[in-house]
Amino acid sequence: MQDTTIILQILWTSLATSTYYVLFAVAFALVLKVTRLFNFAQAAVMTIAFYTAFIAVQWLEWPAWAAFLLMMFMTLAASYALERIGFEALRQRGVSVMFVFVFTLMVSEFIAYVAMLIFGTWPQTIFPTIFWPVTIVGEIAVSGWDIPAMAATVGALAAFFAFMRFTRTGQFMIGVADNPDLAELYGINKRQIFLAAMLIAGAFVGLGMFLYGTRAQVLPQTGLSLMLFAIAATIIGGIGNIAGAAIAAVILGIIQNASILFISSEWQGFLLYIFLFLAIVFFPNGLRLPRRRGRFGTATRDIPLGRDAPPAESQA
Amino acid sequence: MEYLYGIIIIIGLYVILATSFNLIIGYGGLVSIAHPVFFALGAYTSAVLSRDFGAPVLLAMLAGTLVALLASIALALPSLRVSGDYLLIASIGFQLGILEVIKNVRFTGGPGGFTNIPPFLIREFGRESYVVLVLAVMVAVILLVWWISRSDYGRAMSAMRDDELAFSSIGRDAMWMKIAIFGLGSGIAGLAGSLYAHYFRFIAPEQFEILQSSVILTMVVVGGLRTTWGPVVGALLLQALPQAISFLHLPPSVLGPIQGILFTGLVLVFMFFRPQGLVPAKEVWRAVQRPTGKAGENR
Amino acid sequence: MAGVLEVRDLSKSFDGIVVASHIDLTLKSGSIVGLIGPNGAGKTSLFNLISGVVKFDSGTVLLDGSPLDRLKFHQRVRGGLSRTWQHTRLFPSLPVIDNLLIATHDYPGERLVNVLFGRRRLKAHDSVARDKAVGILGKMGLANVADDLVSDLPYGQQKLVGVARALMGDAKCLLLDEPMAGVEGQAYAAMQRVVREVAESGVAVCVVEHNIAFIRDLCDEGVFMFSGAIMARGSVAELIRDPQLTELYFGH
Repeated sequence: MQDTTIILQILWTSLATSTYYVLFAVAFALVLKVTRLFNFAQAAVMTIAFYTAFIAVQWLEWPAWAAFLLMMFMTLAASYALERIGFEALRQRGVSVMFVFVFTLMVSEFIAYVAMLIFGTWPQTIFPTIFWPVTIVGEIAVSGWDIPAMAATVGALAAFFAFMRFTRTGQFMIGVADNPDLAELYGINKRQIFLAAMLIAGAFVGLGMFLYGTRAQVLPQTGLSLMLFAIAATIIGGIGNIAGAAIAAVILGIIQNASILFISSEWQGFLLYIFLFLAIVFFPNGLRLPRRRGRFGTATRDIPLGRDAPPAESQA
Repeated sequence: MEYLYGIIIIIGLYVILATSFNLIIGYGGLVSIAHPVFFALGAYTSAVLSRDFGAPVLLAMLAGTLVALLASIALALPSLRVSGDYLLIASIGFQLGILEVIKNVRFTGGPGGFTNIPPFLIREFGRESYVVLVLAVMVAVILLVWWISRSDYGRAMSAMRDDELAFSSIGRDAMWMKIAIFGLGSGIAGLAGSLYAHYFRFIAPEQFEILQSSVILTMVVVGGLRTTWGPVVGALLLQALPQAISFLHLPPSVLGPIQGILFTGLVLVFMFFRPQGLVPAKEVWRAVQRPTGKAGENR
Repeated sequence: MAGVLEVRDLSKSFDGIVVASHIDLTLKSGSIVGLIGPNGAGKTSLFNLISGVVKFDSGTVLLDGSPLDRLKFHQRVRGGLSRTWQHTRLFPSLPVIDNLLIATHDYPGERLVNVLFGRRRLKAHDSVARDKAVGILGKMGLANVADDLVSDLPYGQQKLVGVARALMGDAKCLLLDEPMAGVEGQAYAAMQRVVREVAESGVAVCVVEHNIAFIRDLCDEGVFMFSGAIMARGSVAELIRDPQLTELYFGH
C-alpha cells in the first residue's frame, strides 16, 4: 500500500514538473521544423525571461501578474531581435546550418555570462520561496503549483495546435516547413512565417520559464541544460514532429523524476546526458509511430538530418 | 621568472589546443564544443595514473593522450554514423556529462580538484626544460597539422568539405576520415592536458568548463579557420587579453563572467563582421609542393 | 551472358510516393543502355537507389553476381559501380587534375596512417594516378586545363571532367546522369566519343538523357520509364516511334 502511494506520488509530481519540459521541447521543435535551425539561443531567451521576472518580483516588488506580463514582453522582444537582427542577416549570407548553430550557442553563452556578472553564480527563484501549499487528494500530495501549471500548459498547447490547424498563418507555417521555396512560389512570406514561429516559441519559453522559476532554482547556466532536455525530446519525438517532441518530453520528465527510486540524487542530473546519448545512438530519426499523412503530426522529410536524407540532386 | 614561464607554457598549450581544434573544425568541417573535455581527460588520466598508481609520468602522459583519443572516437562514432549535425549536440552533452562525472566520483578529487600531481622534468632539469618541452610539442603540432593539410590527406579533406556526396561517389569514405580527424585532434588535446597537469600540478573541473570551449573556438575563429597561423595568432592574442585583465585585480566572481563575455562577444562580432578571421584562408587547396609548374602556378 | 549489373525487382517509395516499382534491369559488359522518360519518371532516383545514395525498400542489386544491398555508397563505388551527377558536383576548391587524383580506386591519401608513415606508397600512387589522369584528360581534349580550377571551365568541359573523374576508379559499370545537359560544341563530340570508347573497353554503361539524338546515336538498347516503372524496352529508335510512349513523354 505504502509503495503504491509513493509511486503514484512520484508519477503525479513528475507529470506536473514535465509541464515546463514540454513547453521548452515544443518551442525548440517548432523552430527547428519551420526555420530548420537548431536554435540554441532559446537558452538565452530562457535566461532573459527568468531574470526579467526575478527583477520584477524581487527587486521592483511587482505583483506576480505584472511580472509575468513584463517577462512575456521581454521574451517576445528577445525572440524578435534574435530573428530580425541575427537569423535574417545570416540567412541572407547563406551560411551553413552549423554556422548558425555555433552562433546561437555563442549568443546563449554570452547572455549567460552577462547574467553571471549581474546576478552572480548562486541559485535564484522568481518568488522568495518555491514551497507551495499542499492539499492531500486521496493519498497524494498536490501542491498549489501543480494544477495551475498543468492547466496553463494544456491551455497553451491546445491554443497552439488549434492555431496551427485552423488559422492561415498556422497552415502557412506547415507549408513553409514542408517546402520553403514552394511556399514562396505560392506567395507565402517566408520572413513573416519565420518570425511568427520564433515568437510563438518565445511565448512558450516565457511561460515555461515562469513555471520553472516558480518551482526550481535557476543559475545563469540552467538554460543550457534545459535545452539539452528539449533537444533529446525533439530527437526522440522525431525531428519535425512537434506533438512527438511534446510526448517524448513528458516521458523523459517522468523517467527522470522516477529515477529517484533507483539512483542517488546527485546522479539524477546525469540521466539527461544518458537520454541525449541514447537518443542520438538509438533513435536518431525518432521513435517510429504510425504516421498520419497530411496532418500536423507528420514528420517533415527533408530536414537535412538522419540516415535517409533524400538526395540533394533533383529527381529526374 | 616563474611567472613568465607559466605564461609561456599556458600560451604554448593554447596554441596546441587551437591548432588541433582547427584541424577538427577548420579542415575537418566538424563542429564540436567538447575540446576542453579531451584536454581534461588527458590531464586527469595522466594525473591519476602517476600520483595514485605510481605510473612513470611519461607513460601516464601517453595514456592520457590515448584515453582522450579513444573517448573522442567513442563520441564521434555513433553521432557521425547518423549525420555531422548530431556531433555538435552529442559534444555538448559529452562536455557537460563528463564534467559531471569528474565532479561526482571520488578518485578525481571531486569539485575541489586533484592536487599534488607529480612534477615532470622540473626537479631534475629546472623549469626551463619544461618550457622547452611544451614549445617543442607546440612546434611539432603546428608542423603536423600544416603537413597534413597540404598532403594527399589535405586534398581529400578539401574535397570532403566541398561536397560530401560527390566525395562518396568517387569511393571515398567520409565517415572514417572524419573520425580519424576528430580522434587525432582530440588526442592532441589530451596530450596538451597531460602536459598541463604535470607542470601546474593542480587540476579542477572548473578549469575545463564550457568557458574553455568558447575560448578555444574564439581563438580559431578570430585567428582564421583553415590556416596554419590563424590559430597561433588567435591563441597569442586571446591569451594576452585575460593576462591584461588580470592586472586590473578584479575579484574572481567578476573576472570569470567578464572573460566569458569577452570571448563569446568576440566570436559573435567576428562571425558577423569578419567570418574569415584575422588570417583569411585561401579558397584553393595547395599541395606542399606542386610537381609540374604549369598554367595554374601563378594563380 | 549474365550482366555486369543486375537489378532485380527493385522498389522504393517515400511516404507513399512510389519512385521505383519492381524495376528489373540488366547492364552488360560493353553495351550502352539509354534510360529515357519524362521528368519525374524516376530515372535519377533509380541511379540513386542502385548506387546506394538512397536505400531501397525491396529487391536486390548484383554487381558481377554479388549483392550490393548491404554496401554503402562509397563501398559500391569501390566495388566498381561508378556514377556521375547531373550537376557535375566537382570539387571547386581543387584544380582539375586534383579532382581526378583523389578519385582512384584505392587512394592511399584517404588514410592518415599512410600520410604520416607511408610516403613511398603515396608517391608511387601519385605518379601512377597522375599518368592515368593526364591520359584521360588528353583523350577528352582537356590536357591544357589540367591545372585550372573547375569553376573557371565552361560548363561543357566541367561535365567532361565529371565523367573523367568517374573513370579514374576502374569502374565495371558506369551510370551517367544527363551527361549532355548543358553541353555544346566540341565538348558534345568529345562526350560522345568518350562514352563510346568506355563501352568498347568493356564497361557496362547506362545513360539517363533527355537529348534523344544523343541516346539514339549511342545506345544499344533503350528503356522507357514512367512514374517509377519500366514501361517498355527495345531499340531507342523503336521507343521513340511508339505513339503511346511519345504521348507519355510529352503529355506531361
